[in-house]
Amino acid sequence: MAEQKKVRLVIERQDGPNDKPYTQEFEVDYRPGLNIVAALMEIQKNPVTVDGKKVAPVVWECNCLEKVCGACMMVINGKARQACCSLVDNLEQPIHLAPARTFPVIRDLLIDRSVMFESLKRIHGWIEVDGTWDVKDAPIQNPHTAETAYEISHCMTCGCCLEACPNVGPQSDFIGPSPTVQAYLFNLHPLGKFDAPTRLNALMEKGGITSCGNSQNCVEACPKNIKLTTYLAQLNRDVNKQALKNIFNK
Amino acid sequence: MFHTTFYLRRLHSLVGLLVLGMVLFEHIFTNSMALGGAPVLNGALATMELIPKPIFLALEVGAIAVPLLFHAIYGIYICRQANNNPGRYGYVRNWQFAFQRWTAWLLVFFLAWHVFDLRIFTKAISGTPISYELLHSMFTGNPIIAVLYIIGMFAAIFHFCNGITTFCMTWGIAKGPRIQNVVSLCSMGLCALLCLITLVFMGSYFVM
Repeated sequence: MAEQKKVRLVIERQDGPNDKPYTQEFEVDYRPGLNIVAALMEIQKNPVTVDGKKVAPVVWECNCLEKVCGACMMVINGKARQACCSLVDNLEQPIHLAPARTFPVIRDLLIDRSVMFESLKRIHGWIEVDGTWDVKDAPIQNPHTAETAYEISHCMTCGCCLEACPNVGPQSDFIGPSPTVQAYLFNLHPLGKFDAPTRLNALMEKGGITSCGNSQNCVEACPKNIKLTTYLAQLNRDVNKQALKNIFNK
Repeated sequence: MFHTTFYLRRLHSLVGLLVLGMVLFEHIFTNSMALGGAPVLNGALATMELIPKPIFLALEVGAIAVPLLFHAIYGIYICRQANNNPGRYGYVRNWQFAFQRWTAWLLVFFLAWHVFDLRIFTKAISGTPISYELLHSMFTGNPIIAVLYIIGMFAAIFHFCNGITTFCMTWGIAKGPRIQNVVSLCSMGLCALLCLITLVFMGSYFVM
Protein backbone atom coordinates (compact mmCIF):
# COMPACT_ATOMS: atom_id res chain seq x y z
CA MET A 1 0.00 0.00 0.00
CA ALA A 2 1.18 3.43 -0.84
CA GLU A 3 2.38 5.61 1.98
CA GLN A 4 -0.34 7.76 3.63
CA LYS A 5 -0.23 11.27 2.21
CA LYS A 6 -0.01 13.96 4.89
CA VAL A 7 -1.25 17.53 5.06
CA ARG A 8 0.90 20.01 6.95
CA LEU A 9 -0.71 22.93 8.76
CA VAL A 10 1.13 25.86 10.29
CA ILE A 11 -1.20 27.42 12.84
CA GLU A 12 -0.81 30.78 14.52
CA ARG A 13 -1.99 30.24 18.08
CA GLN A 14 -2.64 32.44 21.06
CA ASP A 15 -3.58 31.26 24.56
CA GLY A 16 -5.68 34.25 25.57
CA PRO A 17 -6.81 37.71 24.43
CA ASN A 18 -3.68 39.39 25.78
CA ASP A 19 -1.17 36.60 25.25
CA LYS A 20 1.59 36.58 22.68
CA PRO A 21 0.91 34.66 19.45
CA TYR A 22 3.11 31.69 18.54
CA THR A 23 3.02 29.12 15.76
CA GLN A 24 2.76 25.35 15.87
CA GLU A 25 2.90 22.82 13.06
CA PHE A 26 0.63 19.84 12.74
CA GLU A 27 0.23 17.02 10.26
CA VAL A 28 -2.99 15.21 9.48
CA ASP A 29 -3.76 12.31 7.13
CA TYR A 30 -4.82 13.41 3.70
CA ARG A 31 -8.14 12.22 2.35
CA PRO A 32 -10.00 13.32 -0.77
CA GLY A 33 -12.29 16.28 -0.16
CA LEU A 34 -10.60 17.19 3.12
CA ASN A 35 -11.37 20.76 4.16
CA ILE A 36 -9.85 22.99 6.83
CA VAL A 37 -12.59 22.37 9.40
CA ALA A 38 -12.19 18.60 8.99
CA ALA A 39 -8.40 18.96 9.28
CA LEU A 40 -8.83 20.98 12.51
CA MET A 41 -11.16 18.25 13.83
CA GLU A 42 -8.40 15.69 13.18
CA ILE A 43 -5.98 17.87 15.17
CA GLN A 44 -8.56 18.08 17.95
CA LYS A 45 -8.69 14.29 18.12
CA ASN A 46 -4.94 14.04 18.42
CA PRO A 47 -3.35 17.38 19.29
CA VAL A 48 0.28 16.45 18.73
CA THR A 49 2.63 18.77 16.85
CA VAL A 50 5.07 17.56 14.21
CA ASP A 51 7.76 17.58 16.91
CA GLY A 52 5.73 14.97 18.80
CA LYS A 53 4.72 17.39 21.54
CA LYS A 54 1.24 16.94 22.99
CA VAL A 55 -0.43 20.35 23.17
CA ALA A 56 -3.82 21.86 23.96
CA PRO A 57 -6.19 21.33 21.01
CA VAL A 58 -6.55 24.24 18.59
CA VAL A 59 -9.64 26.34 19.30
CA TRP A 60 -11.76 27.61 16.41
CA GLU A 61 -15.37 28.31 15.66
CA CYS A 62 -17.64 26.63 13.13
CA ASN A 63 -21.30 25.84 12.80
CA CYS A 64 -23.16 25.17 9.56
CA LEU A 65 -20.29 23.66 7.52
CA GLU A 66 -21.85 24.85 4.26
CA LYS A 67 -20.77 28.51 3.88
CA VAL A 68 -23.99 29.92 5.28
CA CYS A 69 -23.30 30.93 8.89
CA GLY A 70 -19.94 32.68 8.52
CA ALA A 71 -18.60 31.48 11.87
CA CYS A 72 -15.47 29.69 10.62
CA MET A 73 -13.91 32.74 8.92
CA MET A 74 -10.13 32.73 9.41
CA VAL A 75 -7.01 33.75 7.51
CA ILE A 76 -5.98 30.81 5.34
CA ASN A 77 -2.72 31.22 3.41
CA GLY A 78 -2.87 34.96 3.97
CA LYS A 79 -6.45 35.52 2.85
CA ALA A 80 -9.68 35.73 4.85
CA ARG A 81 -12.05 32.91 3.97
CA GLN A 82 -14.41 30.30 5.37
CA ALA A 83 -12.62 27.22 6.72
CA CYS A 84 -15.54 24.91 5.89
CA CYS A 85 -15.39 25.51 2.14
CA SER A 86 -11.60 25.74 1.87
CA LEU A 87 -10.60 22.42 0.36
CA VAL A 88 -7.10 21.22 1.08
CA ASP A 89 -6.79 20.16 -2.58
CA ASN A 90 -7.09 23.81 -3.64
CA LEU A 91 -4.56 25.16 -1.12
CA GLU A 92 -0.82 25.46 -1.33
CA GLN A 93 1.01 23.49 1.36
CA PRO A 94 2.01 23.90 4.09
CA ILE A 95 -1.30 25.56 4.88
CA HIS A 96 -0.99 28.63 7.09
CA LEU A 97 -3.91 29.32 9.43
CA ALA A 98 -4.21 32.50 11.46
CA PRO A 99 -7.00 34.31 13.26
CA ALA A 100 -8.52 37.38 11.59
CA ARG A 101 -6.67 40.00 13.62
CA THR A 102 -8.93 42.80 12.48
CA PHE A 103 -11.09 41.47 15.32
CA PRO A 104 -10.03 40.87 18.94
CA VAL A 105 -8.62 37.36 19.26
CA ILE A 106 -10.10 35.30 22.09
CA ARG A 107 -8.01 32.19 21.70
CA ASP A 108 -6.15 30.53 18.79
CA LEU A 109 -8.40 30.96 15.74
CA LEU A 110 -11.42 32.08 17.75
CA ILE A 111 -12.24 35.77 17.36
CA ASP A 112 -14.77 38.17 18.84
CA ARG A 113 -16.92 39.51 15.99
CA SER A 114 -19.45 41.35 18.13
CA VAL A 115 -18.22 44.69 16.73
CA MET A 116 -20.09 43.88 13.50
CA PHE A 117 -23.34 43.41 15.37
CA GLU A 118 -22.79 46.70 17.19
CA SER A 119 -22.29 48.31 13.77
CA LEU A 120 -25.55 46.78 12.53
CA LYS A 121 -27.29 48.41 15.47
CA ARG A 122 -25.58 51.68 14.59
CA ILE A 123 -26.87 51.71 11.00
CA HIS A 124 -30.42 50.82 12.09
CA GLY A 125 -30.09 47.38 10.47
CA TRP A 126 -33.68 46.26 10.92
CA ILE A 127 -37.21 46.96 9.76
CA GLU A 128 -39.61 48.73 12.08
CA VAL A 129 -42.94 46.91 12.34
CA ASP A 130 -46.01 48.66 13.65
CA GLY A 131 -47.15 45.89 15.99
CA THR A 132 -47.01 42.23 16.84
CA TRP A 133 -50.20 41.46 14.94
CA ASP A 134 -50.39 39.88 11.47
CA VAL A 135 -49.94 42.37 8.69
CA LYS A 136 -52.48 41.66 5.97
CA ASP A 137 -51.58 42.57 2.40
CA ALA A 138 -48.06 43.55 3.35
CA PRO A 139 -46.35 45.75 0.75
CA ILE A 140 -44.57 43.73 -1.90
CA GLN A 141 -40.88 43.93 -2.66
CA ASN A 142 -40.04 46.00 -5.70
CA PRO A 143 -39.50 43.28 -8.36
CA HIS A 144 -36.76 45.38 -9.95
CA THR A 145 -34.69 45.50 -6.80
CA ALA A 146 -35.71 42.16 -5.27
CA GLU A 147 -32.73 40.40 -6.85
CA THR A 148 -30.33 42.96 -5.37
CA ALA A 149 -31.98 42.71 -1.96
CA TYR A 150 -31.76 38.91 -2.13
CA GLU A 151 -28.07 39.16 -3.00
CA ILE A 152 -27.25 41.50 -0.11
CA SER A 153 -29.36 39.42 2.28
CA HIS A 154 -26.86 36.57 1.72
CA CYS A 155 -24.40 38.45 3.93
CA MET A 156 -23.56 36.16 6.84
CA THR A 157 -21.52 38.70 8.84
CA CYS A 158 -18.49 36.45 8.49
CA GLY A 159 -16.11 39.43 8.46
CA CYS A 160 -14.00 38.46 5.40
CA CYS A 161 -14.51 41.93 3.92
CA LEU A 162 -13.49 43.61 7.17
CA GLU A 163 -10.36 41.48 7.45
CA ALA A 164 -9.40 42.24 3.83
CA CYS A 165 -10.17 45.97 4.10
CA PRO A 166 -7.03 48.02 4.86
CA ASN A 167 -9.21 50.68 6.47
CA VAL A 168 -10.73 48.37 9.09
CA GLY A 169 -8.75 47.52 12.17
CA PRO A 170 -7.59 48.81 15.51
CA GLN A 171 -6.02 51.85 13.78
CA SER A 172 -9.38 53.01 12.39
CA ASP A 173 -13.02 53.41 13.41
CA PHE A 174 -14.47 52.28 10.05
CA ILE A 175 -17.43 49.96 10.60
CA GLY A 176 -16.46 48.11 7.42
CA PRO A 177 -18.09 47.18 4.11
CA SER A 178 -20.60 44.58 5.28
CA PRO A 179 -22.51 46.58 7.93
CA THR A 180 -22.42 49.62 5.64
CA VAL A 181 -23.96 47.75 2.73
CA GLN A 182 -26.64 46.25 4.99
CA ALA A 183 -28.04 49.78 5.26
CA TYR A 184 -28.78 49.58 1.54
CA LEU A 185 -30.62 46.27 1.98
CA PHE A 186 -32.96 47.76 4.56
CA ASN A 187 -33.35 50.97 2.54
CA LEU A 188 -34.61 48.84 -0.37
CA HIS A 189 -37.27 47.19 1.75
CA PRO A 190 -40.81 48.52 1.14
CA LEU A 191 -41.23 49.26 4.85
CA GLY A 192 -37.57 49.79 5.67
CA LYS A 193 -37.27 52.66 3.22
CA PHE A 194 -39.18 54.91 5.62
CA ASP A 195 -36.12 54.88 7.88
CA ALA A 196 -33.67 55.44 5.03
CA PRO A 197 -32.75 58.97 6.25
CA THR A 198 -31.92 57.55 9.70
CA ARG A 199 -29.60 54.96 8.16
CA LEU A 200 -27.98 57.42 5.77
CA ASN A 201 -27.39 59.93 8.56
CA ALA A 202 -25.82 57.15 10.62
CA LEU A 203 -23.51 56.35 7.69
CA MET A 204 -22.39 59.98 7.59
CA GLU A 205 -21.13 59.78 11.16
CA LYS A 206 -17.47 59.18 12.06
CA GLY A 207 -16.41 55.68 11.01
CA GLY A 208 -19.28 55.43 8.54
CA ILE A 209 -19.14 55.24 4.76
CA THR A 210 -16.74 58.18 4.49
CA SER A 211 -14.00 55.96 5.93
CA CYS A 212 -14.13 53.78 2.81
CA GLY A 213 -10.89 54.27 0.87
CA ASN A 214 -11.92 52.37 -2.27
CA SER A 215 -9.29 49.65 -2.04
CA GLN A 216 -12.07 47.33 -3.24
CA ASN A 217 -10.63 44.32 -1.42
CA CYS A 218 -14.08 43.67 0.04
CA VAL A 219 -15.69 42.67 -3.22
CA GLU A 220 -12.79 40.30 -3.95
CA ALA A 221 -12.93 38.76 -0.48
CA CYS A 222 -16.70 38.32 -0.13
CA PRO A 223 -17.45 34.57 -0.08
CA LYS A 224 -21.07 35.27 -1.06
CA ASN A 225 -20.08 37.34 -4.13
CA ILE A 226 -22.02 40.39 -2.96
CA LYS A 227 -21.19 43.34 -5.22
CA LEU A 228 -20.11 45.39 -2.19
CA THR A 229 -18.30 48.14 -4.12
CA THR A 230 -21.34 48.74 -6.33
CA TYR A 231 -23.59 49.18 -3.31
CA LEU A 232 -21.01 51.31 -1.52
CA ALA A 233 -21.01 53.64 -4.55
CA GLN A 234 -24.82 53.66 -4.50
CA LEU A 235 -24.77 54.52 -0.79
CA ASN A 236 -22.21 57.26 -1.48
CA ARG A 237 -24.70 58.69 -3.96
CA ASP A 238 -27.49 58.36 -1.39
CA VAL A 239 -25.59 60.00 1.48
CA ASN A 240 -24.64 62.89 -0.80
CA LYS A 241 -28.32 63.44 -1.61
CA GLN A 242 -29.16 63.13 2.07
CA ALA A 243 -26.52 65.74 2.89
CA LEU A 244 -28.10 68.14 0.37
CA LYS A 245 -31.50 67.52 1.97
CA ASN A 246 -30.00 68.14 5.41
CA ILE A 247 -28.56 71.45 4.22
CA PHE A 248 -31.37 72.79 2.04
CA ASN A 249 -34.56 71.40 3.54
CA LYS A 250 -34.42 73.21 6.83
CA MET B 1 -26.41 66.32 14.29
CA PHE B 2 -23.67 67.93 12.21
CA HIS B 3 -21.66 65.36 10.28
CA THR B 4 -18.21 66.95 10.59
CA THR B 5 -16.38 63.84 9.35
CA PHE B 6 -18.62 63.58 6.31
CA TYR B 7 -18.15 67.20 5.26
CA LEU B 8 -14.40 67.15 5.94
CA ARG B 9 -13.96 63.99 3.86
CA ARG B 10 -16.01 65.39 0.98
CA LEU B 11 -14.16 68.72 1.16
CA HIS B 12 -10.86 66.83 1.13
CA SER B 13 -11.98 65.06 -2.02
CA LEU B 14 -13.18 68.23 -3.75
CA VAL B 15 -10.13 70.28 -2.82
CA GLY B 16 -7.80 67.52 -4.03
CA LEU B 17 -9.44 67.06 -7.37
CA LEU B 18 -10.49 70.58 -8.31
CA VAL B 19 -8.18 73.02 -6.52
CA LEU B 20 -4.94 71.02 -6.27
CA GLY B 21 -5.67 69.41 -9.63
CA MET B 22 -5.70 72.90 -11.16
CA VAL B 23 -2.42 73.72 -9.40
CA LEU B 24 -0.86 70.54 -10.81
CA PHE B 25 -2.09 71.30 -14.35
CA GLU B 26 -0.83 74.87 -14.10
CA HIS B 27 2.60 73.59 -13.06
CA ILE B 28 2.78 71.04 -15.86
CA PHE B 29 1.51 73.57 -18.41
CA THR B 30 3.92 76.36 -17.42
CA ASN B 31 6.89 74.07 -16.96
CA SER B 32 6.32 72.39 -20.30
CA MET B 33 7.18 75.80 -21.82
CA ALA B 34 10.78 74.81 -21.11
CA LEU B 35 10.53 72.81 -24.32
CA GLY B 36 10.61 76.11 -26.20
CA GLY B 37 13.79 77.13 -24.39
CA ALA B 38 14.58 80.15 -22.25
CA PRO B 39 12.52 82.79 -24.13
CA VAL B 40 9.27 80.79 -24.07
CA LEU B 41 9.45 79.76 -20.40
CA ASN B 42 10.60 83.19 -19.27
CA GLY B 43 7.80 84.69 -21.38
CA ALA B 44 5.23 82.50 -19.63
CA LEU B 45 6.64 83.47 -16.23
CA ALA B 46 6.54 87.15 -17.25
CA THR B 47 2.87 86.76 -18.24
CA MET B 48 2.12 85.46 -14.76
CA GLU B 49 3.92 88.46 -13.31
CA LEU B 50 1.35 90.66 -15.05
CA ILE B 51 -1.23 89.58 -12.44
CA PRO B 52 -1.30 92.38 -9.83
CA LYS B 53 0.79 91.45 -6.79
CA PRO B 54 -2.00 91.49 -4.15
CA ILE B 55 -4.22 89.28 -6.32
CA PHE B 56 -1.32 86.94 -7.07
CA LEU B 57 -0.48 86.63 -3.39
CA ALA B 58 -4.15 86.07 -2.50
CA LEU B 59 -4.29 83.31 -5.11
CA GLU B 60 -1.10 81.74 -3.78
CA VAL B 61 -2.47 81.69 -0.26
CA GLY B 62 -6.15 81.03 -0.94
CA ALA B 63 -5.91 78.67 -3.89
CA ILE B 64 -2.64 76.88 -3.11
CA ALA B 65 -1.32 77.22 0.45
CA VAL B 66 -4.56 76.81 2.43
CA PRO B 67 -6.07 74.00 0.30
CA LEU B 68 -2.71 72.24 0.19
CA LEU B 69 -2.22 72.42 3.96
CA PHE B 70 -5.77 71.22 4.60
CA HIS B 71 -5.44 68.37 2.08
CA ALA B 72 -2.05 67.39 3.53
CA ILE B 73 -2.97 67.53 7.21
CA TYR B 74 -6.33 65.80 6.85
CA GLY B 75 -4.69 63.42 4.36
CA ILE B 76 -2.10 62.38 6.95
CA TYR B 77 -5.00 61.59 9.30
CA ILE B 78 -6.60 59.46 6.55
CA CYS B 79 -3.28 57.73 5.76
CA ARG B 80 -2.92 56.75 9.39
CA GLN B 81 -6.28 54.95 9.28
CA ALA B 82 -5.01 52.52 6.66
CA ASN B 83 -3.09 49.36 7.23
CA ASN B 84 -1.84 48.80 3.67
CA ASN B 85 -2.01 45.13 2.71
CA PRO B 86 -1.25 44.70 -1.01
CA GLY B 87 1.23 41.97 -0.06
CA ARG B 88 -1.66 39.80 1.09
CA TYR B 89 -4.35 41.10 -1.22
CA GLY B 90 -2.45 41.94 -4.39
CA TYR B 91 -5.31 43.25 -6.50
CA VAL B 92 -4.66 46.20 -8.81
CA ARG B 93 -7.06 48.50 -6.94
CA ASN B 94 -5.49 47.60 -3.61
CA TRP B 95 -2.02 48.43 -5.00
CA GLN B 96 -3.42 51.76 -6.20
CA PHE B 97 -4.92 52.32 -2.73
CA ALA B 98 -1.50 51.71 -1.14
CA PHE B 99 0.32 53.86 -3.73
CA GLN B 100 -2.17 56.66 -3.11
CA ARG B 101 -1.01 56.69 0.52
CA TRP B 102 2.70 56.16 -0.18
CA THR B 103 2.73 58.98 -2.76
CA ALA B 104 0.88 61.12 -0.21
CA TRP B 105 3.71 60.72 2.31
CA LEU B 106 6.31 61.35 -0.38
CA LEU B 107 4.48 64.49 -1.50
CA VAL B 108 4.35 65.91 2.01
CA PHE B 109 8.15 65.94 2.06
CA PHE B 110 8.66 66.79 -1.60
CA LEU B 111 6.24 69.74 -1.52
CA ALA B 112 7.63 71.04 1.76
CA TRP B 113 11.11 71.06 0.19
CA HIS B 114 9.87 72.44 -3.15
CA VAL B 115 7.89 75.30 -1.59
CA PHE B 116 10.53 76.25 0.98
CA ASP B 117 13.40 76.05 -1.48
CA LEU B 118 11.93 77.76 -4.55
CA ARG B 119 9.05 79.92 -3.34
CA ILE B 120 10.16 80.97 0.14
CA PHE B 121 13.95 80.82 0.11
CA THR B 122 14.89 81.56 -3.52
CA LYS B 123 12.04 83.87 -4.54
CA ALA B 124 10.96 85.59 -1.31
CA ILE B 125 14.08 85.67 0.87
CA SER B 126 16.89 85.82 -1.68
CA GLY B 127 14.82 87.83 -4.12
CA THR B 128 15.96 85.74 -7.08
CA PRO B 129 13.23 85.57 -9.72
CA ILE B 130 12.37 82.11 -11.02
CA SER B 131 13.66 81.80 -14.57
CA TYR B 132 14.67 79.25 -17.15
CA GLU B 133 18.32 79.92 -16.36
CA LEU B 134 17.78 79.32 -12.65
CA LEU B 135 16.01 76.00 -13.23
CA HIS B 136 18.55 75.00 -15.88
CA SER B 137 21.50 75.50 -13.56
CA MET B 138 19.59 73.87 -10.67
CA PHE B 139 18.78 70.70 -12.63
CA THR B 140 21.93 70.32 -14.73
CA GLY B 141 24.18 71.44 -11.89
CA ASN B 142 22.98 68.57 -9.75
CA PRO B 143 21.10 65.87 -11.68
CA ILE B 144 20.02 64.32 -8.33
CA ILE B 145 17.75 67.36 -7.87
CA ALA B 146 16.29 66.76 -11.33
CA VAL B 147 15.68 63.10 -10.47
CA LEU B 148 14.04 64.07 -7.16
CA TYR B 149 11.84 66.54 -9.01
CA ILE B 150 10.83 63.90 -11.57
CA ILE B 151 9.96 61.46 -8.75
CA GLY B 152 7.97 64.16 -6.97
CA MET B 153 6.11 65.08 -10.14
CA PHE B 154 5.34 61.42 -10.91
CA ALA B 155 4.01 60.98 -7.38
CA ALA B 156 1.82 64.08 -7.69
CA ILE B 157 0.53 62.98 -11.10
CA PHE B 158 -0.30 59.48 -9.91
CA HIS B 159 -1.91 60.80 -6.73
CA PHE B 160 -4.07 63.16 -8.79
CA CYS B 161 -5.03 60.65 -11.49
CA ASN B 162 -5.87 57.87 -9.04
CA GLY B 163 -7.76 60.56 -7.17
CA ILE B 164 -10.01 61.01 -10.22
CA THR B 165 -10.95 57.32 -10.00
CA THR B 166 -11.65 57.38 -6.27
CA PHE B 167 -13.48 60.71 -6.63
CA CYS B 168 -15.90 59.06 -9.08
CA MET B 169 -16.47 56.25 -6.57
CA THR B 170 -16.72 58.47 -3.49
CA TRP B 171 -19.26 60.77 -5.09
CA GLY B 172 -21.27 57.86 -6.44
CA ILE B 173 -20.65 58.95 -10.04
CA ALA B 174 -19.25 55.61 -11.25
CA LYS B 175 -21.28 52.90 -9.56
CA GLY B 176 -20.84 49.56 -11.32
CA PRO B 177 -17.61 47.65 -11.97
CA ARG B 178 -17.66 48.31 -15.74
CA ILE B 179 -17.79 52.11 -15.49
CA GLN B 180 -15.34 52.07 -12.56
CA ASN B 181 -12.92 50.13 -14.75
CA VAL B 182 -13.37 52.58 -17.63
CA VAL B 183 -12.74 55.54 -15.31
CA SER B 184 -9.69 53.84 -13.82
CA LEU B 185 -8.22 53.03 -17.24
CA CYS B 186 -8.83 56.58 -18.48
CA SER B 187 -7.23 58.16 -15.44
CA MET B 188 -4.24 55.82 -15.60
CA GLY B 189 -3.94 56.75 -19.30
CA LEU B 190 -3.92 60.42 -18.28
CA CYS B 191 -1.31 59.55 -15.63
CA ALA B 192 0.97 57.97 -18.26
CA LEU B 193 0.51 60.95 -20.59
CA LEU B 194 1.28 63.57 -17.92
CA CYS B 195 4.30 61.57 -16.72
CA LEU B 196 5.59 61.42 -20.29
CA ILE B 197 5.15 65.18 -20.74
CA THR B 198 7.00 65.75 -17.45
CA LEU B 199 9.83 63.46 -18.50
CA VAL B 200 10.15 65.24 -21.85
CA PHE B 201 10.30 68.81 -20.46
CA MET B 202 12.60 67.79 -17.62
CA GLY B 203 14.83 66.00 -20.16
CA SER B 204 14.90 69.08 -22.35
CA TYR B 205 17.04 70.92 -19.76
CA PHE B 206 19.79 68.36 -20.35
CA VAL B 207 19.80 68.45 -24.15
CA MET B 208 19.38 72.20 -24.63
